[in-house]
Amino acid sequence: MSTAPVLGTASQPADPSPPAARGARADRGRGSRRGSRRAQGGTWLAVPALVWYVVFMVGPVLAIFVIASLHWPGMLQPRSFAGLDNYRTVLDDPVFWQAFRNTLTQLAIALPVMMVCAYMLAYYVAQRPPGHRVLRYLLFIPGLISTPAKAMFFYAALSPDGLVNGVLRDLGLGSLAKVWLADSGTALYAIIALDIWAGIGFTAVLIAARLGSVSEEIGEAAQLDGAGHWRTMWSIHFPIIRDYFGVATMLQFLWTLFGSAQHVLLLTQGGPGNASSTLSFLVYQRAFLQADLGYSQAVGVFLFVLGLVGMLLIRRAFRQNH
Amino acid sequence: MKRIRLSWLPAHVLAWGYAALLLVPLYYFLASAFKDNGAIFSSPLALPTSLSPGNFTRAFELGGLGKAVANSALVTVGGLAVTLFLALPASFALARSTGRAAKMMERAFSLGFLVPTFAALFPTFLLAAATGLFHTRTFMVLLLPATAMPLSVVLLTQFMRTVPPELEEAARMDGAGTLAVLRHIYAPISMPGIAAVVLLNFLNFWNEYLYSLIIIGPDPDQRTTQLALPTLVSTSGTDYGVLTAATVLTLLPVYVVYTVLQRRMQSALITGAVKM
Repeated sequence: MSTAPVLGTASQPADPSPPAARGARADRGRGSRRGSRRAQGGTWLAVPALVWYVVFMVGPVLAIFVIASLHWPGMLQPRSFAGLDNYRTVLDDPVFWQAFRNTLTQLAIALPVMMVCAYMLAYYVAQRPPGHRVLRYLLFIPGLISTPAKAMFFYAALSPDGLVNGVLRDLGLGSLAKVWLADSGTALYAIIALDIWAGIGFTAVLIAARLGSVSEEIGEAAQLDGAGHWRTMWSIHFPIIRDYFGVATMLQFLWTLFGSAQHVLLLTQGGPGNASSTLSFLVYQRAFLQADLGYSQAVGVFLFVLGLVGMLLIRRAFRQNH
Repeated sequence: MKRIRLSWLPAHVLAWGYAALLLVPLYYFLASAFKDNGAIFSSPLALPTSLSPGNFTRAFELGGLGKAVANSALVTVGGLAVTLFLALPASFALARSTGRAAKMMERAFSLGFLVPTFAALFPTFLLAAATGLFHTRTFMVLLLPATAMPLSVVLLTQFMRTVPPELEEAARMDGAGTLAVLRHIYAPISMPGIAAVVLLNFLNFWNEYLYSLIIIGPDPDQRTTQLALPTLVSTSGTDYGVLTAATVLTLLPVYVVYTVLQRRMQSALITGAVKM
Protein backbone atom coordinates (compact mmCIF):
# COMPACT_ATOMS: atom_id res chain seq x y z
CA MET A 1 0.00 0.00 0.00
CA SER A 2 1.60 3.22 -1.07
CA THR A 3 0.09 5.13 1.82
CA ALA A 4 2.25 3.70 4.57
CA PRO A 5 5.75 3.52 3.18
CA VAL A 6 7.47 1.81 6.07
CA LEU A 7 4.80 -0.66 6.93
CA GLY A 8 3.38 -0.93 3.45
CA THR A 9 4.40 -4.41 2.42
CA ALA A 10 3.56 -5.82 5.78
CA SER A 11 0.00 -4.63 5.93
CA GLN A 12 -0.74 -5.63 2.38
CA PRO A 13 -2.21 -9.06 3.10
CA ALA A 14 -4.39 -7.65 5.81
CA ASP A 15 -5.52 -4.72 3.70
CA PRO A 16 -8.60 -3.58 5.61
CA SER A 17 -9.97 -1.53 2.76
CA PRO A 18 -12.80 -3.27 0.98
CA PRO A 19 -11.84 -5.07 -2.23
CA ALA A 20 -13.52 -2.33 -4.18
CA ALA A 21 -10.89 0.11 -2.91
CA ARG A 22 -8.20 -1.81 -4.66
CA GLY A 23 -10.38 -1.98 -7.71
CA ALA A 24 -10.84 1.75 -7.71
CA ARG A 25 -7.15 2.34 -7.49
CA ALA A 26 -6.52 -0.01 -10.37
CA ASP A 27 -9.15 1.86 -12.37
CA ARG A 28 -7.37 5.10 -11.88
CA GLY A 29 -4.20 3.57 -13.18
CA ARG A 30 -5.95 2.30 -16.31
CA GLY A 31 -7.94 5.27 -17.37
CA SER A 32 -6.12 8.49 -16.61
CA ARG A 33 -8.76 10.34 -18.60
CA ARG A 34 -11.38 9.47 -16.05
CA GLY A 35 -8.94 10.19 -13.23
CA SER A 36 -8.34 13.70 -14.43
CA ARG A 37 -12.02 14.39 -14.86
CA ARG A 38 -12.51 13.26 -11.29
CA ALA A 39 -9.87 15.65 -9.99
CA GLN A 40 -11.79 18.78 -10.70
CA GLY A 41 -11.17 21.13 -7.83
CA GLY A 42 -10.81 20.34 -4.20
CA THR A 43 -7.18 19.53 -3.46
CA TRP A 44 -7.14 22.63 -1.29
CA LEU A 45 -9.60 20.85 1.01
CA ALA A 46 -6.65 18.88 2.37
CA VAL A 47 -4.80 22.02 3.36
CA PRO A 48 -6.49 22.77 6.73
CA ALA A 49 -5.78 19.25 7.98
CA LEU A 50 -2.20 19.52 6.83
CA VAL A 51 -1.70 22.91 8.48
CA TRP A 52 -3.18 21.59 11.71
CA TYR A 53 -0.89 18.62 11.63
CA VAL A 54 2.20 20.69 10.87
CA VAL A 55 1.49 23.27 13.58
CA PHE A 56 0.65 20.86 16.39
CA MET A 57 2.84 17.87 15.55
CA VAL A 58 5.65 18.50 13.09
CA GLY A 59 6.55 21.87 14.59
CA PRO A 60 6.93 20.62 18.17
CA VAL A 61 8.99 17.63 17.02
CA LEU A 62 11.39 19.90 15.14
CA ALA A 63 11.54 22.17 18.16
CA ILE A 64 13.04 19.31 20.20
CA PHE A 65 16.22 19.60 18.16
CA VAL A 66 16.36 23.37 18.56
CA ILE A 67 15.79 23.34 22.32
CA ALA A 68 18.37 20.60 22.72
CA SER A 69 20.98 23.05 21.51
CA LEU A 70 20.09 25.75 24.05
CA HIS A 71 21.24 26.54 27.56
CA TRP A 72 17.89 26.92 29.22
CA PRO A 73 17.94 26.38 32.97
CA GLY A 74 14.24 27.11 33.58
CA MET A 75 11.10 28.42 31.94
CA LEU A 76 11.66 32.05 32.93
CA GLN A 77 15.45 32.00 32.68
CA PRO A 78 17.29 33.52 29.72
CA ARG A 79 18.29 31.13 26.97
CA SER A 80 21.58 31.02 25.12
CA PHE A 81 23.01 28.89 22.37
CA ALA A 82 24.84 25.89 23.74
CA GLY A 83 25.84 23.95 20.65
CA LEU A 84 26.51 20.37 21.66
CA ASP A 85 27.03 21.14 25.36
CA ASN A 86 23.76 19.53 26.43
CA TYR A 87 24.64 16.30 24.68
CA ARG A 88 28.01 16.32 26.41
CA THR A 89 26.41 16.93 29.82
CA VAL A 90 23.94 14.13 29.17
CA LEU A 91 26.64 11.68 28.14
CA ASP A 92 28.69 12.49 31.24
CA ASP A 93 25.73 12.04 33.57
CA PRO A 94 25.51 8.70 35.41
CA VAL A 95 21.74 9.25 35.81
CA PHE A 96 21.36 9.20 32.03
CA TRP A 97 23.29 5.96 31.79
CA GLN A 98 21.23 4.39 34.55
CA ALA A 99 18.06 5.36 32.70
CA PHE A 100 19.56 4.06 29.48
CA ARG A 101 20.38 0.70 31.08
CA ASN A 102 16.90 0.52 32.56
CA THR A 103 15.34 1.21 29.18
CA LEU A 104 17.46 -1.50 27.57
CA THR A 105 16.57 -3.96 30.35
CA GLN A 106 12.93 -3.09 29.93
CA LEU A 107 13.01 -3.63 26.17
CA ALA A 108 15.16 -6.76 26.41
CA ILE A 109 12.73 -8.44 28.79
CA ALA A 110 9.36 -7.02 27.82
CA LEU A 111 9.57 -7.26 24.03
CA PRO A 112 10.60 -10.93 23.58
CA VAL A 113 8.33 -12.21 26.35
CA MET A 114 5.40 -10.19 25.09
CA MET A 115 5.81 -11.05 21.42
CA VAL A 116 6.46 -14.78 21.86
CA CYS A 117 3.53 -15.18 24.28
CA ALA A 118 1.31 -13.04 22.07
CA TYR A 119 2.12 -15.10 19.00
CA MET A 120 1.44 -18.40 20.74
CA LEU A 121 -1.77 -17.06 22.21
CA ALA A 122 -2.80 -15.74 18.81
CA TYR A 123 -2.13 -19.14 17.22
CA TYR A 124 -4.27 -20.73 19.92
CA VAL A 125 -7.15 -18.29 19.39
CA ALA A 126 -6.89 -18.68 15.61
CA GLN A 127 -7.53 -22.44 15.96
CA ARG A 128 -10.98 -21.52 17.31
CA PRO A 129 -10.90 -23.63 20.45
CA PRO A 130 -14.06 -23.73 22.58
CA GLY A 131 -14.73 -20.30 24.02
CA HIS A 132 -12.48 -18.43 21.60
CA ARG A 133 -15.04 -15.66 21.16
CA VAL A 134 -15.08 -14.93 24.90
CA LEU A 135 -11.31 -15.10 24.93
CA ARG A 136 -11.06 -12.58 22.12
CA TYR A 137 -13.40 -10.26 24.00
CA LEU A 138 -11.25 -10.50 27.11
CA LEU A 139 -7.95 -10.06 25.30
CA PHE A 140 -9.04 -6.62 24.20
CA ILE A 141 -9.31 -5.39 27.77
CA PRO A 142 -5.83 -3.84 27.95
CA GLY A 143 -6.46 -2.06 24.68
CA LEU A 144 -9.47 -0.35 26.17
CA ILE A 145 -8.37 0.93 29.53
CA SER A 146 -6.42 4.10 30.04
CA THR A 147 -2.88 4.30 31.33
CA PRO A 148 -3.91 5.74 34.71
CA ALA A 149 -6.45 2.94 35.17
CA LYS A 150 -3.84 0.30 34.32
CA ALA A 151 -1.41 1.95 36.69
CA MET A 152 -4.08 2.03 39.41
CA PHE A 153 -4.53 -1.73 38.94
CA PHE A 154 -0.85 -2.24 39.55
CA TYR A 155 -0.70 0.29 42.32
CA ALA A 156 -3.54 -1.42 44.16
CA ALA A 157 -2.03 -4.84 43.55
CA LEU A 158 1.53 -4.00 44.53
CA SER A 159 1.15 -1.50 47.36
CA PRO A 160 2.18 -2.75 50.83
CA ASP A 161 -1.42 -3.64 51.76
CA GLY A 162 -2.34 -4.58 48.24
CA LEU A 163 -3.65 -7.63 46.47
CA VAL A 164 -0.33 -9.45 45.94
CA ASN A 165 0.84 -9.14 49.52
CA GLY A 166 -2.64 -10.02 50.74
CA VAL A 167 -2.71 -13.20 48.68
CA LEU A 168 0.83 -14.10 49.78
CA ARG A 169 -0.19 -13.72 53.42
CA ASP A 170 -3.31 -15.82 52.83
CA LEU A 171 -1.12 -18.54 51.39
CA GLY A 172 1.16 -18.40 54.43
CA LEU A 173 3.96 -16.87 52.36
CA GLY A 174 3.91 -13.57 54.23
CA SER A 175 7.70 -13.53 54.36
CA LEU A 176 7.77 -12.96 50.61
CA ALA A 177 5.63 -9.85 50.90
CA LYS A 178 7.45 -6.73 49.80
CA VAL A 179 7.01 -3.04 49.17
CA TRP A 180 7.18 -3.93 45.48
CA LEU A 181 7.11 -0.42 44.08
CA ALA A 182 9.57 1.09 46.55
CA ASP A 183 12.13 -1.72 46.52
CA SER A 184 15.08 -1.00 44.24
CA GLY A 185 15.20 -4.70 43.39
CA THR A 186 11.63 -4.91 42.13
CA ALA A 187 10.47 -1.42 41.09
CA LEU A 188 11.73 -1.63 37.50
CA TYR A 189 10.35 -5.14 37.15
CA ALA A 190 6.93 -3.95 38.26
CA ILE A 191 6.98 -1.53 35.33
CA ILE A 192 8.08 -4.31 33.00
CA ALA A 193 5.33 -6.56 34.34
CA LEU A 194 2.79 -3.88 33.52
CA ASP A 195 4.12 -3.67 29.94
CA ILE A 196 3.92 -7.42 29.50
CA TRP A 197 0.53 -7.80 31.16
CA ALA A 198 -1.01 -5.11 28.97
CA GLY A 199 0.93 -5.92 25.82
CA ILE A 200 0.24 -9.63 25.33
CA GLY A 201 -3.52 -9.44 24.97
CA PHE A 202 -3.77 -6.69 22.44
CA THR A 203 -0.86 -7.94 20.33
CA ALA A 204 -2.37 -11.42 20.37
CA VAL A 205 -5.63 -10.12 18.93
CA LEU A 206 -3.76 -8.25 16.21
CA ILE A 207 -1.79 -11.33 15.24
CA ALA A 208 -4.84 -13.59 15.49
CA ALA A 209 -6.61 -11.35 13.00
CA ARG A 210 -3.75 -11.87 10.57
CA LEU A 211 -3.54 -15.63 11.22
CA GLY A 212 -7.24 -15.83 10.45
CA SER A 213 -6.49 -14.92 6.86
CA VAL A 214 -3.90 -17.68 6.42
CA SER A 215 -5.52 -20.50 4.47
CA GLU A 216 -6.60 -23.35 6.73
CA GLU A 217 -5.38 -25.88 4.19
CA ILE A 218 -1.81 -24.90 4.90
CA GLY A 219 -2.11 -25.98 8.50
CA GLU A 220 -4.10 -29.08 7.62
CA ALA A 221 -1.58 -30.17 5.03
CA ALA A 222 1.17 -29.88 7.60
CA GLN A 223 -0.86 -31.93 10.08
CA LEU A 224 -1.35 -34.65 7.49
CA ASP A 225 2.40 -34.78 7.07
CA GLY A 226 2.56 -35.51 10.76
CA ALA A 227 3.72 -32.11 11.97
CA GLY A 228 2.54 -31.28 15.49
CA HIS A 229 1.03 -27.95 16.40
CA TRP A 230 4.33 -26.74 17.79
CA ARG A 231 6.03 -27.29 14.42
CA THR A 232 3.07 -25.97 12.43
CA MET A 233 3.04 -22.87 14.56
CA TRP A 234 6.71 -21.99 14.23
CA SER A 235 7.82 -23.40 10.89
CA ILE A 236 4.67 -23.12 8.78
CA HIS A 237 2.58 -20.21 10.04
CA PHE A 238 5.27 -18.01 11.47
CA PRO A 239 7.19 -17.56 8.19
CA ILE A 240 3.94 -16.61 6.46
CA ILE A 241 3.09 -13.81 8.86
CA ARG A 242 6.68 -12.88 9.65
CA ASP A 243 6.36 -9.43 8.13
CA TYR A 244 3.18 -8.68 10.05
CA PHE A 245 4.80 -9.96 13.22
CA GLY A 246 7.57 -7.44 12.58
CA VAL A 247 5.04 -4.62 12.37
CA ALA A 248 3.41 -5.67 15.64
CA THR A 249 6.86 -5.87 17.25
CA MET A 250 7.65 -2.40 16.02
CA LEU A 251 4.43 -1.06 17.51
CA GLN A 252 5.13 -2.63 20.87
CA PHE A 253 8.72 -1.40 20.73
CA LEU A 254 7.54 2.18 20.26
CA TRP A 255 4.82 1.92 22.90
CA THR A 256 7.23 0.43 25.42
CA LEU A 257 10.00 2.89 24.65
CA PHE A 258 7.89 6.05 24.72
CA GLY A 259 4.99 4.94 26.89
CA SER A 260 7.08 4.00 29.89
CA ALA A 261 7.19 7.63 31.03
CA GLN A 262 3.57 7.46 32.13
CA HIS A 263 3.91 4.12 33.88
CA VAL A 264 7.01 5.23 35.75
CA LEU A 265 5.43 8.55 36.63
CA LEU A 266 2.31 6.92 38.02
CA LEU A 267 3.89 3.97 39.81
CA THR A 268 7.39 4.76 41.06
CA GLN A 269 8.42 8.23 39.87
CA GLY A 270 11.73 6.74 38.90
CA GLY A 271 12.51 5.69 42.43
CA PRO A 272 13.82 4.53 44.71
CA GLY A 273 16.76 6.75 43.73
CA ASN A 274 16.85 6.32 39.97
CA ALA A 275 16.34 2.58 40.11
CA SER A 276 13.29 2.60 37.86
CA SER A 277 13.92 5.72 35.80
CA THR A 278 13.71 5.20 32.04
CA LEU A 279 14.79 7.46 29.19
CA SER A 280 11.33 8.71 28.39
CA PHE A 281 10.66 9.37 32.06
CA LEU A 282 13.94 11.27 32.26
CA VAL A 283 12.77 13.55 29.43
CA TYR A 284 9.61 14.27 31.38
CA GLN A 285 11.32 14.62 34.75
CA ARG A 286 14.01 17.04 33.58
CA ALA A 287 11.54 19.20 31.69
CA PHE A 288 8.68 19.39 34.14
CA LEU A 289 10.02 18.52 37.56
CA GLN A 290 13.56 19.89 37.44
CA ALA A 291 13.25 22.55 34.72
CA ASP A 292 16.49 21.60 33.01
CA LEU A 293 15.09 22.12 29.55
CA GLY A 294 18.13 21.79 27.32
CA TYR A 295 19.15 18.59 29.07
CA SER A 296 15.64 17.18 28.83
CA GLN A 297 15.36 17.77 25.11
CA ALA A 298 18.86 16.42 24.48
CA VAL A 299 17.68 13.17 26.07
CA GLY A 300 14.60 13.55 23.86
CA VAL A 301 16.84 13.59 20.80
CA PHE A 302 18.56 10.40 22.00
CA LEU A 303 15.18 8.82 22.55
CA PHE A 304 14.07 9.84 19.08
CA VAL A 305 17.19 8.38 17.49
CA LEU A 306 16.89 5.20 19.56
CA GLY A 307 13.31 4.87 18.35
CA LEU A 308 14.30 5.24 14.69
CA VAL A 309 17.28 2.88 14.95
CA GLY A 310 15.20 0.30 16.80
CA MET A 311 12.45 0.46 14.20
CA LEU A 312 14.90 -0.01 11.35
CA LEU A 313 16.56 -2.95 13.12
CA ILE A 314 13.24 -4.64 13.83
CA ARG A 315 12.09 -4.02 10.27
CA ARG A 316 15.28 -5.54 8.94
CA ALA A 317 15.11 -8.53 11.28
CA PHE A 318 11.59 -9.47 10.22
CA ARG A 319 11.75 -8.67 6.55
CA GLN A 320 10.12 -11.38 4.46
CA ASN A 321 12.82 -13.53 2.96
CA HIS A 322 11.31 -16.01 0.57
CA MET B 1 -12.91 -28.14 16.84
CA LYS B 2 -11.95 -31.71 16.20
CA ARG B 3 -8.22 -31.07 16.11
CA ILE B 4 -8.21 -29.99 19.73
CA ARG B 5 -7.14 -32.93 21.84
CA LEU B 6 -5.82 -33.62 25.30
CA SER B 7 -2.36 -32.48 24.23
CA TRP B 8 -3.90 -29.04 24.12
CA LEU B 9 -4.53 -28.99 27.83
CA PRO B 10 -1.47 -26.86 28.67
CA ALA B 11 -2.48 -24.40 25.96
CA HIS B 12 -6.02 -24.12 27.36
CA VAL B 13 -4.68 -23.61 30.85
CA LEU B 14 -2.17 -20.94 29.80
CA ALA B 15 -4.58 -19.03 27.59
CA TRP B 16 -7.34 -18.95 30.17
CA GLY B 17 -4.83 -18.30 32.92
CA TYR B 18 -3.80 -15.15 31.14
CA ALA B 19 -7.44 -14.24 30.56
CA ALA B 20 -7.95 -14.61 34.30
CA LEU B 21 -5.04 -12.24 34.91
CA LEU B 22 -6.91 -9.71 32.80
CA LEU B 23 -10.16 -10.32 34.65
CA VAL B 24 -8.89 -10.42 38.22
CA PRO B 25 -8.11 -6.70 38.36
CA LEU B 26 -11.55 -5.89 37.02
CA TYR B 27 -13.18 -8.10 39.58
CA TYR B 28 -10.93 -6.78 42.34
CA PHE B 29 -11.84 -3.22 41.44
CA LEU B 30 -15.54 -3.90 41.22
CA ALA B 31 -15.54 -5.77 44.54
CA SER B 32 -13.33 -3.24 46.32
CA ALA B 33 -15.51 -0.37 45.18
CA PHE B 34 -18.10 -1.63 47.68
CA LYS B 35 -15.71 -2.22 50.61
CA ASP B 36 -13.73 -0.14 53.06
CA ASN B 37 -9.96 -0.27 53.50
CA GLY B 38 -10.17 -2.83 56.29
CA ALA B 39 -12.15 -5.32 54.23
CA ILE B 40 -9.98 -4.72 51.17
CA PHE B 41 -6.78 -5.53 53.07
CA SER B 42 -8.04 -8.48 55.09
CA SER B 43 -9.87 -10.32 52.33
CA PRO B 44 -8.96 -8.78 48.98
CA LEU B 45 -10.79 -11.28 46.79
CA ALA B 46 -13.93 -11.83 48.87
CA LEU B 47 -17.29 -10.66 47.59
CA PRO B 48 -18.41 -7.39 49.15
CA THR B 49 -20.88 -7.78 52.00
CA SER B 50 -23.08 -4.87 50.96
CA LEU B 51 -23.70 -2.92 47.78
CA SER B 52 -23.78 0.53 49.31
CA PRO B 53 -22.73 3.23 46.84
CA GLY B 54 -20.86 5.19 49.52
CA ASN B 55 -17.49 4.95 47.79
CA PHE B 56 -18.95 6.20 44.55
CA THR B 57 -20.50 9.26 46.13
CA ARG B 58 -17.27 9.94 48.02
CA ALA B 59 -15.33 9.63 44.76
CA PHE B 60 -17.57 12.28 43.28
CA GLU B 61 -16.92 14.58 46.24
CA LEU B 62 -13.20 13.94 46.79
CA GLY B 63 -12.08 13.68 43.19
CA GLY B 64 -14.57 16.19 41.82
CA LEU B 65 -15.45 13.35 39.51
CA GLY B 66 -18.71 14.75 38.21
CA LYS B 67 -16.98 17.76 36.74
CA ALA B 68 -14.10 15.60 35.53
CA VAL B 69 -16.45 13.31 33.60
CA ALA B 70 -18.11 16.34 32.03
CA ASN B 71 -14.70 17.73 31.05
CA SER B 72 -13.64 14.41 29.56
CA ALA B 73 -16.85 14.24 27.56
CA LEU B 74 -16.31 17.80 26.35
CA VAL B 75 -12.71 17.20 25.29
CA THR B 76 -13.57 13.89 23.63
CA VAL B 77 -16.61 15.12 21.72
CA GLY B 78 -14.98 18.42 20.79
CA GLY B 79 -11.84 16.62 19.64
CA LEU B 80 -13.87 14.17 17.58
CA ALA B 81 -15.80 16.99 15.92
CA VAL B 82 -12.64 18.86 14.97
CA THR B 83 -11.03 15.64 13.76
CA LEU B 84 -13.90 14.83 11.40
CA PHE B 85 -14.22 18.42 10.30
CA LEU B 86 -10.57 18.40 9.19
CA ALA B 87 -10.09 14.79 8.11
CA LEU B 88 -13.24 14.32 6.01
CA PRO B 89 -12.53 17.10 3.49
CA ALA B 90 -8.83 16.22 3.48
CA SER B 91 -9.33 12.55 2.67
CA PHE B 92 -12.03 13.46 0.16
CA ALA B 93 -9.51 15.69 -1.59
CA LEU B 94 -6.69 13.16 -1.44
CA ALA B 95 -8.86 10.31 -2.68
CA ARG B 96 -10.04 12.22 -5.75
CA SER B 97 -6.89 14.05 -6.73
CA THR B 98 -4.22 12.52 -8.87
CA GLY B 99 -1.87 15.49 -8.84
CA ARG B 100 1.60 15.58 -7.40
CA ALA B 101 0.66 17.91 -4.54
CA ALA B 102 -1.96 15.47 -3.33
CA LYS B 103 0.49 12.60 -3.45
CA MET B 104 3.00 14.54 -1.38
CA MET B 105 0.38 15.50 1.19
CA GLU B 106 -0.70 11.90 1.52
CA ARG B 107 2.91 10.86 2.06
CA ALA B 108 3.32 13.58 4.70
CA PHE B 109 0.34 12.21 6.61
CA SER B 110 1.56 8.64 6.45
CA LEU B 111 4.97 9.68 7.75
CA GLY B 112 3.09 10.93 10.79
CA PHE B 113 2.81 7.34 11.99
CA LEU B 114 6.51 7.44 12.66
CA VAL B 115 6.50 10.63 14.69
CA PRO B 116 6.65 9.71 18.35
CA THR B 117 4.32 12.37 19.67
CA PHE B 118 5.41 11.78 23.21
CA ALA B 119 8.88 13.15 22.55
CA ALA B 120 7.40 16.54 21.69
CA LEU B 121 5.74 16.98 25.06
CA PHE B 122 7.76 19.98 26.13
CA PRO B 123 7.61 21.90 22.83
CA THR B 124 3.84 21.32 22.82
CA PHE B 125 3.69 22.81 26.28
CA LEU B 126 5.52 25.88 24.94
CA LEU B 127 3.02 26.10 22.09
CA ALA B 128 0.16 26.04 24.58
CA ALA B 129 1.80 28.79 26.59
CA ALA B 130 2.41 30.86 23.45
CA THR B 131 -1.22 30.61 22.34
CA GLY B 132 -2.42 31.62 25.78
CA LEU B 133 -4.35 28.37 26.09
CA PHE B 134 -2.14 26.82 28.75
CA HIS B 135 -4.13 25.17 31.54
CA THR B 136 -7.28 24.90 29.45
CA ARG B 137 -9.29 22.07 28.00
CA THR B 138 -9.56 24.12 24.83
CA PHE B 139 -5.97 23.45 23.86
CA MET B 140 -6.56 19.70 24.17
CA VAL B 141 -9.58 20.00 21.87
CA LEU B 142 -7.24 21.56 19.32
CA LEU B 143 -4.23 19.32 19.96
CA LEU B 144 -5.84 15.88 20.02
CA PRO B 145 -7.18 16.10 16.44
CA ALA B 146 -3.66 16.88 15.21
CA THR B 147 -2.35 13.68 16.80
CA ALA B 148 -5.25 11.79 15.23
CA MET B 149 -4.79 13.32 11.79
CA PRO B 150 -2.37 10.81 10.17
CA LEU B 151 -4.44 7.77 11.06
CA SER B 152 -7.79 9.38 10.32
CA VAL B 153 -6.78 10.82 6.96
CA VAL B 154 -5.01 7.69 5.74
CA LEU B 155 -7.86 5.43 6.80
CA LEU B 156 -10.62 7.63 5.41
CA THR B 157 -8.78 8.19 2.14
CA GLN B 158 -8.80 4.44 1.58
CA PHE B 159 -12.52 4.29 2.14
CA MET B 160 -13.21 7.30 -0.09
CA ARG B 161 -11.32 5.62 -2.91
CA THR B 162 -14.02 2.96 -3.04
CA VAL B 163 -16.56 5.50 -4.28
CA PRO B 164 -17.18 4.91 -8.01
CA PRO B 165 -16.38 8.07 -10.01
CA GLU B 166 -19.60 7.58 -12.03
CA LEU B 167 -21.61 8.61 -8.98
CA GLU B 168 -19.80 11.91 -8.80
CA GLU B 169 -20.14 12.47 -12.52
CA ALA B 170 -23.87 11.91 -12.32
CA ALA B 171 -24.18 14.33 -9.39
CA ARG B 172 -22.10 16.91 -11.24
CA MET B 173 -24.46 16.68 -14.21
CA ASP B 174 -27.22 17.56 -11.82
CA GLY B 175 -25.23 20.62 -10.83
CA ALA B 176 -23.84 19.53 -7.46
CA GLY B 177 -20.89 21.49 -6.12
CA THR B 178 -17.73 19.98 -4.62
CA LEU B 179 -18.95 20.15 -1.04
CA ALA B 180 -22.32 18.70 -1.97
CA VAL B 181 -20.54 15.78 -3.61
CA LEU B 182 -18.63 15.21 -0.38
CA ARG B 183 -21.71 15.45 1.77
CA HIS B 184 -24.17 13.45 -0.27
CA ILE B 185 -21.99 10.87 -2.00
CA TYR B 186 -18.59 10.37 -0.37
CA ALA B 187 -19.48 10.72 3.29
CA PRO B 188 -22.41 8.25 3.28
CA ILE B 189 -20.46 5.62 1.35
CA SER B 190 -17.45 5.91 3.69
CA MET B 191 -19.63 5.48 6.78
CA PRO B 192 -17.81 2.31 7.97
CA GLY B 193 -14.52 4.19 7.77
CA ILE B 194 -15.96 7.15 9.64
CA ALA B 195 -17.25 4.78 12.32
CA ALA B 196 -13.80 3.22 12.71
CA VAL B 197 -12.13 6.61 12.97
CA VAL B 198 -14.66 7.82 15.53
CA LEU B 199 -14.35 4.71 17.69
CA LEU B 200 -10.56 4.66 17.65
CA ASN B 201 -10.28 8.32 18.45
CA PHE B 202 -12.97 8.07 21.09
CA LEU B 203 -10.76 5.57 22.90
CA ASN B 204 -7.59 7.59 22.43
CA PHE B 205 -9.14 10.89 23.42
CA TRP B 206 -11.03 9.56 26.42
CA ASN B 207 -7.95 7.73 27.69
CA GLU B 208 -5.35 10.42 26.97
CA TYR B 209 -3.23 11.12 30.02
CA LEU B 210 0.27 12.58 29.69
CA TYR B 211 -0.49 15.55 27.44
CA SER B 212 -3.55 16.39 29.51
CA LEU B 213 -1.44 16.26 32.65
CA ILE B 214 0.96 18.85 31.30
CA ILE B 215 -1.45 21.03 29.37
CA ILE B 216 -4.56 21.03 31.55
CA GLY B 217 -2.85 20.69 34.88
CA PRO B 218 -4.45 20.29 38.28
CA ASP B 219 -7.36 22.75 38.03
CA PRO B 220 -10.50 20.79 39.06
CA ASP B 221 -12.61 22.97 36.76
CA GLN B 222 -10.64 21.91 33.71
CA ARG B 223 -9.19 18.48 34.38
CA THR B 224 -10.41 15.24 32.85
CA THR B 225 -11.23 11.94 34.57
CA GLN B 226 -7.83 10.49 33.71
CA LEU B 227 -6.25 13.36 35.63
CA ALA B 228 -8.64 13.18 38.55
CA LEU B 229 -8.02 9.47 39.07
CA PRO B 230 -4.37 9.51 40.22
CA THR B 231 -5.08 12.41 42.60
CA LEU B 232 -6.96 9.93 44.78
CA VAL B 233 -3.70 8.18 45.60
CA SER B 234 -2.07 9.80 48.57
CA THR B 235 1.10 9.03 50.44
CA SER B 236 -0.62 9.63 53.75
CA GLY B 237 -3.07 6.79 53.22
CA THR B 238 -5.06 6.03 50.13
CA ASP B 239 -8.73 5.19 50.50
CA TYR B 240 -8.76 2.19 48.21
CA GLY B 241 -12.51 1.89 48.20
CA VAL B 242 -12.83 5.38 46.77
CA LEU B 243 -9.92 4.88 44.37
CA THR B 244 -11.35 1.68 42.96
CA ALA B 245 -14.84 3.15 42.73
CA ALA B 246 -13.45 6.09 40.74
CA THR B 247 -11.50 3.77 38.46
CA VAL B 248 -14.64 1.76 37.78
CA LEU B 249 -16.45 4.96 36.88
CA THR B 250 -13.79 6.04 34.36
CA LEU B 251 -13.87 2.60 32.73
CA LEU B 252 -17.63 2.48 32.46
CA PRO B 253 -18.18 4.55 29.29
CA VAL B 254 -15.50 2.63 27.43
CA TYR B 255 -16.94 -0.74 28.44
CA VAL B 256 -20.47 0.23 27.55
CA VAL B 257 -19.36 1.33 24.08
CA TYR B 258 -17.18 -1.77 23.68
CA THR B 259 -19.89 -4.20 24.69
CA VAL B 260 -22.50 -2.60 22.46
CA LEU B 261 -20.25 -2.18 19.42
CA GLN B 262 -17.94 -5.11 20.06
CA ARG B 263 -17.41 -6.27 16.47
CA ARG B 264 -17.02 -2.81 15.11
CA MET B 265 -14.65 -1.72 17.87
CA GLN B 266 -12.46 -4.79 17.42
CA SER B 267 -12.07 -4.26 13.71
CA ALA B 268 -11.45 -0.56 14.26
CA LEU B 269 -8.71 -1.26 16.78
CA ILE B 270 -7.05 -3.85 14.56
CA THR B 271 -7.21 -1.66 11.47
CA GLY B 272 -5.98 1.36 13.39
CA ALA B 273 -3.04 -0.36 15.02
CA VAL B 274 -1.73 -1.93 11.87
CA LYS B 275 -2.05 1.26 9.90
CA MET B 276 0.16 2.90 12.46
